[in-house]
Amino acid sequence: MSVSTSSTSQVETNPRGIPKAPFVSNVDDYLDGTDSSVESTLNKFQEMIAKYRYMELNVQNRRKGLDEKIPDIAKTLAMVEFLKDRRDRKLGKKAKKDDDDDDLDDDLEDEDDEAADDAPLKTTFELNDTLYAEAEIEESELVYLWLGANVMLAYPLDEAQALLSSKLAGAQQTRANAVEDLEWLREQITVMEVNLARVYNWDVRRRREAKAKGIEGTDEK
Amino acid sequence: MRLLNQEDEADESTEVTWEDQQRINTFSKYNQRLQDIEDLLQKKKTEKEYLDDVAMELELADEDEPVMYKIGETIVHIKLSQAQKLLEKEHKSIDEEISGLQNRVEECENGMKELKVLLYAKFGNAINLETNPI
Repeated sequence: MSVSTSSTSQVETNPRGIPKAPFVSNVDDYLDGTDSSVESTLNKFQEMIAKYRYMELNVQNRRKGLDEKIPDIAKTLAMVEFLKDRRDRKLGKKAKKDDDDDDLDDDLEDEDDEAADDAPLKTTFELNDTLYAEAEIEESELVYLWLGANVMLAYPLDEAQALLSSKLAGAQQTRANAVEDLEWLREQITVMEVNLARVYNWDVRRRREAKAKGIEGTDEK
Repeated sequence: MRLLNQEDEADESTEVTWEDQQRINTFSKYNQRLQDIEDLLQKKKTEKEYLDDVAMELELADEDEPVMYKIGETIVHIKLSQAQKLLEKEHKSIDEEISGLQNRVEECENGMKELKVLLYAKFGNAINLETNPI
């Protein structure tokens, strides 16, 4: 039988190694016609569906996790970019090369902004749920990023931005892969369900024909 | 759902080939994708409306008063002109996202349209590909 698990080497998979479900186009060819083969095939198909469903559940959870993580990273990145932009401007080294495509007229405006920007940045931040406090932030080149596992590390703004951007891109890529995997899994599940139904119907028809002919001999039960 | 009569069973069962099955699967994939994208698109559109509201509000704001602008989890007190600049940036990025999503919606719809023609041609009434049954 072509579905045997030993033949993994030639089974098609998607980029993340999830195997492709075989399609049974002709039940007669697929089964060798004995009762036991019908039963074992049905069982095997059901088992494969269960496996696919289990994978589907896992990937769904992974996707949900990423859906929560991505906005967090994006928010942090937005803040770092804001701080960096502010600092760059203060230092008068606003990277003219970087933004000159759309910021030409903005640059003029920035000139007058600079004077007023000298004061420390005033922020309102959440101290606890529904409780906010004000803080003034002194100009600094460093930001502290939570790396997880109760570790916080100081990064220069440039590096923080680079790090967060790459993390964001990575998370988005992983999410895209997860979505692709889900689509793939759903497809395989459909194929397997169709296979199951085909074999089952084929069996029903065969039994009925056997009964109609009154040939009990072919029926081993 | 209904049970088929025994006679109908054999007659109506047009042979579903591997090719057809793949088409059906692809159709279902597009359908699922379309729903996901439309949900997301809806969210982004609401977000954009919020941004529009903010822009309106800032038009009316006092130039000399600092604006409390939320970035991430924190609110920063900045000048009006700066807030407007940041807002403009956000507007731009959300517009890009929305148009990107709309392109993908179109892609899905076109794919589904093509498959519908093929599948209805082969299976006729035996298959239903409409999201809203009439």
